[in-house]
Amino acid sequence: MMLEHVLVLSAYLFSIGIYGLITSRNMVRALMCLELILNAVNMNLVTFSDFFDNRQLKGNIFSIFVIAIAAAEAAIGLAIVSSISRNRKSIRINQSNLLNK
Amino acid sequence: MDLPKTLHDFLLVFLGSGLILGSLGVVLLTNPIFSAFSLGLTLVCISLLYILSNSHFVAASQLLIYVGAINVLIIFGVMFMNGSEYYQDFRLWTVGDGMTLMVCTSIFISLITTIPDTSWYGIIWTTRSNQIIEQDLISTSQQIGIHLSTDFFLPFELISIILLAALIGAIVVARQ
Repeated sequence: MMLEHVLVLSAYLFSIGIYGLITSRNMVRALMCLELILNAVNMNLVTFSDFFDNRQLKGNIFSIFVIAIAAAEAAIGLAIVSSISRNRKSIRINQSNLLNK
Repeated sequence: MDLPKTLHDFLLVFLGSGLILGSLGVVLLTNPIFSAFSLGLTLVCISLLYILSNSHFVAASQLLIYVGAINVLIIFGVMFMNGSEYYQDFRLWTVGDGMTLMVCTSIFISLITTIPDTSWYGIIWTTRSNQIIEQDLISTSQQIGIHLSTDFFLPFELISIILLAALIGAIVVARQ
């Protein structure tokens, strides 16, 4: 019963992250919702590793790799957003349509 | 963790409600600084849930990396970007917002109806044949260290190369 409660929490976090990622008009808020999605996946991995793999902890190691990849991706994403904001003077998502023409 | 059951349940409900409110604050608050701090609250609640799940190393690394580095980076990003549309963004509810809400609710409801129906303990009984029952006296951090230096050594080195490339790339892109 405790396993399913944590899985429901991570499913909620995942769906809230997807909703925020799609409907946010601010680029930094989209990056924040992406971190929510990755944290939902991490919570699933750690919970399964705690309940089923208590001796070998392979889910824990995978979640450490996911944390490291999320750190790298947040750094690059914020660098790109800052250079876009320096060039276009705004961070609204619907104004980054230079590839449309 | 070896807590009494009522204390464990109370902490789970407390952290779960903090998580729910924090994630709602990330998506629904209009001021981006408030939503960045709400993301910090969410990440701290997740880290405490990891401590409850007996994964102390992942909890400490989540607190250090996510709250201490990524969240601080996001707050700096929010403060330095030209957010002159603070109070012009009055959340005009478009049709796309409603459709996304319906799609996300349907994803959530399908996950919720699937989770109690799967027999998790039945899956683990069929895959228990390839687990080594020795190594009872090793703590979790030692076990993670053993795995990182024997089984997962190649991903470990590749992660360090990825981090190097990502940080050099971020500095080159964000430079003036």
